[in-house]
Order: sequence, then structure tokens, then C-alpha cells
Amino acid sequence: MNPSLQPTLLPALQPLVDRLLAFLAQDGCSDAEFDDLAAALFELQYTFNEPYRRFCQRRSATPRSVSGWRQVPPVPISAFKDATLSCVPPADCERVFMTSGTSRGEVKGRNHHPTIAVWDRSMQRHFEQRFMQGSGRMPMLLLFPDEDQLPNSSLARYLSLAARCHGTPDSRSYIGPQGLDVGGLRAALDKAVAQAQPVALMGASFSVVHLLDALREQGLRYALPAGSRILDTGGYKGQARDLPPDAFYNGLAETFGVPRSRCINMYGMTELSSQFYDAGNQTVPSVKRAPHWVRSRVLDPLSGQELARGERGVLAHCDLANFNSAIAILTEDVGVAVGDGFLLLGRAEGAEAKGCSLAVQEFLEATRP
Amino acid sequence: MSSPWRAGHLPGLAPDAVQWQALHYAAQGGHLDVEVPMLTDAQMQALAARVRLAAQAQLQTLTVDTVIGIIDRAVARLLDARDPVRREADALLPIVTGFDAEMVRLGLTSYLQAFRAPQLQRFVAQDFANPKVLDGFQPAVKGGAVRAFGPALLAHVWAGNVPGLPLWSLACGLLVKAGNIGKLPSAEPVFATLFARLLCEVHPPLADCLAVVWWKGGQPGPAVTLYRASDTVLAYGGSAALREVRAQVPASTRFIAYGHKLGLTLVGRVALDRQRGPAAARRAALDIVRWEQQGCYSSHAVYVERGGAVSPRDFAQHLAAELANLGHRHPRRALALNEAQAVATWRRAAEWRAIAATDGGGNELLGDAAAPWALAYSDRPQPLVPTAGQRCVQVSAVDALDDVLPLLAPHAAFLQTVGLATTPAELYRLGEALGRVGVTRIAPLGGMTQPEAGWHHDGRFNLADLVRMVDIEQAAERAADALAPYAQESGE
Repeated sequence: MNPSLQPTLLPALQPLVDRLLAFLAQDGCSDAEFDDLAAALFELQYTFNEPYRRFCQRRSATPRSVSGWRQVPPVPISAFKDATLSCVPPADCERVFMTSGTSRGEVKGRNHHPTIAVWDRSMQRHFEQRFMQGSGRMPMLLLFPDEDQLPNSSLARYLSLAARCHGTPDSRSYIGPQGLDVGGLRAALDKAVAQAQPVALMGASFSVVHLLDALREQGLRYALPAGSRILDTGGYKGQARDLPPDAFYNGLAETFGVPRSRCINMYGMTELSSQFYDAGNQTVPSVKRAPHWVRSRVLDPLSGQELARGERGVLAHCDLANFNSAIAILTEDVGVAVGDGFLLLGRAEGAEAKGCSLAVQEFLEATRP
Repeated sequence: MSSPWRAGHLPGLAPDAVQWQALHYAAQGGHLDVEVPMLTDAQMQALAARVRLAAQAQLQTLTVDTVIGIIDRAVARLLDARDPVRREADALLPIVTGFDAEMVRLGLTSYLQAFRAPQLQRFVAQDFANPKVLDGFQPAVKGGAVRAFGPALLAHVWAGNVPGLPLWSLACGLLVKAGNIGKLPSAEPVFATLFARLLCEVHPPLADCLAVVWWKGGQPGPAVTLYRASDTVLAYGGSAALREVRAQVPASTRFIAYGHKLGLTLVGRVALDRQRGPAAARRAALDIVRWEQQGCYSSHAVYVERGGAVSPRDFAQHLAAELANLGHRHPRRALALNEAQAVATWRRAAEWRAIAATDGGGNELLGDAAAPWALAYSDRPQPLVPTAGQRCVQVSAVDALDDVLPLLAPHAAFLQTVGLATTPAELYRLGEALGRVGVTRIAPLGGMTQPEAGWHHDGRFNLADLVRMVDIEQAAERAADALAPYAQESGE
């Protein structure tokens, strides 16, 4: 599939997009290749993305001064709410993904995609490698609304694309306007067991918890055929009881008969165009790994300095597939660099207030309409 | 310091019989292991019984003046820089809290002065027209007689955001002659322990009338045991912590909660001439720097009135300069990862407000990432929201101080202290309006973190809220008269 950009879009973009797609198709890359493409994309973003340019100027970072991906100023994810970070005018973009925003009236972060082809290719390449692992098509039971229901959700796109590319035709979403279709899921699970057909159960972590609770309530357990696997993502976001990771993965293993080593957690965010995976959750926290077009650092949140391996800090990612908004992103996730990846240690929740001083979060919760 | 420092005060319990848990603290170039007691339910029960009985025998037999004298002697020792207990506090508190040593020393000295005898008298006088009601029945204005009894056992759940905080409620508990059991905050287990020891030194019979305990947060056992044994439970903390305590306190037990509060500063144009403007900024900076905005009375937002010789933006620059100065004199404490993240998030939000609009939209962020403070300036009044603390402050320009009132109204439950610089007439006019929207204390700039003795904490009565009044009705007196051995037949 060769994406064709509309003629109104930046002429500078098409060659870069082609180069990027070729880069994603490679089997890996050298440090120099990564830096080269990072420099080209940084220059593009510096030139055509005005708020980002002002952000860089405050840090005295210009395409001339920056050498190597580590020097590209990372944009805090909160900026996706405050500013329009897009080289291409939003109206000319094929797709926009928005953060979920759990509260009414909350401003949503937006990531604009002039062509969805790059995002799709990034997702597919890494998904094949870390989740499918060479398996053929299998029924995919999706615990998240599908793309038609949530066109601005990157997770809905992710799951729908997974089902299209790697699922059997009966793959579908089991969440509708009525909520979780437990009856439908039970039928699908029974069928998988009866036909000895491995399946993939995939969705938001909190929906997986809801399913676990529903099946346990009915005293149901499955021994899904070997090769079955589970993918959860996104944490609980206050929408399900806070289950410790060990209890969560033990619950999956007990209820579905899927070993913890086949329960894979995907770490992704609206503000990026790529995802991270672990190799199962035999032990937690598990090491998360990136594809070759993404590199990560662990930073001191205030100074922005890179921390030594083994030290806890906030994660910053350089995702070359994020060509239109910002390749360098500063997350609010706490992590620590280990081996060829990082451990994800949760969200940096901001300081908890002590005593009678007031924490921002609590204040906002109290004043929410 | 290598051997662990033992916190708590447990009359009647042998240290060997108690299980201890070590809490580790490291800051300001030192580290300290503090051992806190982990009591069994039975131990807590024994402690509660002992304290209740001892208070009855040793404390409730004293006059309130005598109690004031005892507290005064203990506080005098803490005000003496050469006293070994004061020196211990000065040495340990910076390590435990991370606050700058000089800030702790100055802050503690200023705070302790509110607990000297004349100030304690004021505490009592503020709540009781005739303080002798705490010692015995006194004639009531309506006729008959009235007497105030403190709780036989008062449980305190202390917070550790500002050192010395437990002294407020402990002094109040002693003044109403309650048996006191206080739960140490894990964030600062030192001060209350030292003060309990000092009280016992100053007046040994008090040793059994109070206890200082600890339990792991969220652990119901000893907490519930204590609350069941108490007449009144007084707790400081955030909404979540208070909800938890409230759920554990029996319905028939009096529960007094001091929750999260938020302070702000209002600078009127009258304080913004060439001389007064910079001085006002200097004082306003103190309300932000002291205790790193961890107090309920600390300022997070400054609203500056237009029309003075010093413009709001100039004031913001002065304030930034003062924050920078104070950063040298009182270095900000080292931040934990989540605190650093909170500050970074707050700074970024302010930075992106300025970046998102081509001309900055009237928003600026002063102070670079390495500075131990950050000031966000806006030429439009910004909503009242707590900052990340740690010397982060939002400064907004307003056309008139009255414009701030509608911004405060939605947050009545969280309002407490306002630092106000204006004329005497305006002080009362604005004071009325501020009180109406929920503010409970108006302080001068630079005085926000130092409430006066006898203030109505969160608009409540420090002592009156603790006591139970007993009335002997006038009619009962008359009826008793009729039964007196010397009563004369009325001839009915």
C-alpha cells in the first residue's frame, strides 16, 4: 500500500514519508541511520510546527545545533492538549487520535496524522514481531469498542487493524453500547475450546478486569487451547478495581488457562505512533521493548538530564514514526532502563499532599462539575 | 547517627514488649533511622485505659492556670537555643523533613512563641468568657451554673507536613485536661515525641496522661481500638485520609477533622508604590518559601491590582527576584521523584500556556528549570488552583481585588488564609466579602504561615469544640435550696 498525499500537503513531506516507510521495513538500523532520520524529521518539525519551534528556541535547540536524537527537545505529553502540534494543517490530516480524557470538560490531547499509513505500518510491524510471533490468523476477541464507534481512539484503530490483518473473519469487538457482551464472549471461548482453536483475547486492562470479575462471579474457568494469548493495555484508569499486577496475571492464567508468559502487556499512547511490548508477564514488572525506529531514555523530570541506568525517572521516547507532531516525547510515566528495554513503574502521579496542604489532583476532583 | 532514634511515648509498656519498625530518613546531608512502635490491639487498649485513668487523677485535678504553667515551662525550654532537647529538634528535623535547617530553626522559634503562658491564656480566653469553667462550676449568665469538661480520652491523628504541627492539638487537649493519645505522622515523627518527653521532664506526673503512638497507614487494628476507646477523635489530613478515619470512628464519638486548605495573596494598588511595592513582594515571598508551601496557610496564588506605580508584571518580577534571593538563604529541599514530576508538570503547563499563543497570550513563566522556584505570570486573572508547591506560584493581574471574589466562591470548602495588603477601610470591607465566600483567616503579607495564638483554625473553636458543657439549671438550684438543711418552710 503506497500512501498518496493530497496535493495541498507540504511537498517536503512525501519523500520523507517514503523514506520513513522504508526505514520501518528494514530489519534494524545503525545508530547513524537512526540519527540521520531523526535529524531530518526534527528539521521538518522545527520548520513547520510553530509552537514546537518556540519550545525549541527557549531551549536554544535548532536543526543546526542538534546532533543525535538525544538532543531533540522532548515535548511533554501535556502539550498535546495545550497546543496544536502538527506540521500539516489539522484540516488536511487523514486522521486525528485523541486522548480519552476521563472527566467532563477536560481538554483532550490530539495527535494529527496526515496519512495513517505510517502509523499503521508501525503498528503492524511491531505487532507481528512481539504478539503474533509467527502464528497464523486466529479469532480475536476484542474488549474495546471498534474503530467505527471510536474513530478518534488510537486503541480502537490498533485493535481493529490487528483483527483485520491477523484475525479470522469472526474476530470482533465484544463491547457495545450495552457494555461488555459477556454472553457473546462465553460463546466464543466455549467455541475455541470445543474446536481446539487458539484465540487472542485483547483489550483495555480495565475491561479485562471486568471480564475476569464477570466470569469468576459465574464460577467459569476455561482452558484455552495452546497458542492462545492475551494482550492488555492502558492500566485501569480508575475504571476497575486496582488489581496488583501479580493478582491480575494470576487471574488471567487461572481463568483462561493462558500461561503468564503468553499474557502480553502493550504500552502505547495517543501521543506516539508506535507501541512497546513485553515478552509476557511471567514476572512483573516486565521489560518493555521498542521497535528499531523508537529509542527511549530515562530523565530527571525537572532538569531533563538523562539518568544513569538503574535510576528511576520519567520516560522520554524518540519515535521516528511520529513524523507530523513531535518525534521526541516526554511522558508522565516512571521507568528505569534495564537490558535492552525499560521497566514501566507506573505513572508519576504528582506529589501526594501531606497533611492539610492541598494536592492539585484532589482539588480538581473536588471541583469537577 | 548510627543507632536508631526511638519515637513515641508509651507509659506502662516495656520497650522490649513492643515491636518496633524502622523508618529511614535522609536529607540535608544526614540520615536517620527512626524506630516507631507497632502496638498490638491489647497494648493499645492498655495504653488507652492507663492514660484515661491517669488524666483523671493527675491532670483533671489541676487548674487550667497550672496546666498553662506546665506547657509554658516546656515551651520555654524549646525556645532556649542551648537546651539539649531544642538542639536535638534542630538537628533531627531537617533530616526528617528535608526542610532547610535555618528555615526549621526560625520557623520553630516563631511558632513556639504562640504557646507561651500569655498566649495560652489567650487561647483559653478566646473560647471561654470565664476560663474558670474548666476548673469548676461557674455562675452562668442565664442563671444557674456551668462547667466545661474536656474529653476523658482525646485521640489525635497528626499530620507531618509542617514540623511542630502536633503541638496545636496537643496543647489544646492539655488545656481542656484530656488524656491524650496522638498518632505520629510517618513524615515527621520527631517533634511530638520530643515534646512529650519534655512535658514529662517538666511535670513528671504528666507522663502517664499522654501517649504518642504510631501505626502503619491503612492498618485498621490499633487505630480502631484507639478510636473506640476515645471520647473525641481529632484528625489532620487530606480528604482520603479523613474519610478513612471518619469511617473508623464510632458514630457516637465526636470527630473533628482539619482537611486540606489553600491560601492566596491579594496585593492592593495602595501597596504598590515605589517604596512599598518591592517590600510587599519581599513579604509575599516568605509566605511561599516558608515550609515550601506545605502548610494549609501557605500561598499558592497572588492576585495583584492594576493602577499602582508598580504594575502587576513588575510586582511579579520583584517577587521572582525575592524567591531567587530566598533560594540562596534557604535552599529548597531535595525533591522526591513524584514531587519533581509535579513541579515539572506545573512548569510545563505554564510554559505551554505561553508558547501556545504567538504573543504568549499575556502569559509568562519566570525561573528556569534549574531554579528552585517557578513563577507563572498572567495578565488575566487565573482561576484559583493549588500549584505543585515547592515554591511554585501563579501571579495574576486584576483590575480590582473584588474581581478575585468570584474566583474563590466555588472553592469555599478549601479556603482558609488570605494574605492581604490594603488600607484599613478596605481591610474590613474586603474582609467581610472574603469571609462571605469562605475565607476564615486574613493575615498580613509575610504573616500567613504564622497564625496568632487563639485563631479560629478553619473557622472553628480550638477548645470549645473539644469540651462538653454541663449546666446546673437555675431551677435545680432553687429546688436544691428547698432541700437544704437550713431551708425554711415557705408556709405553702
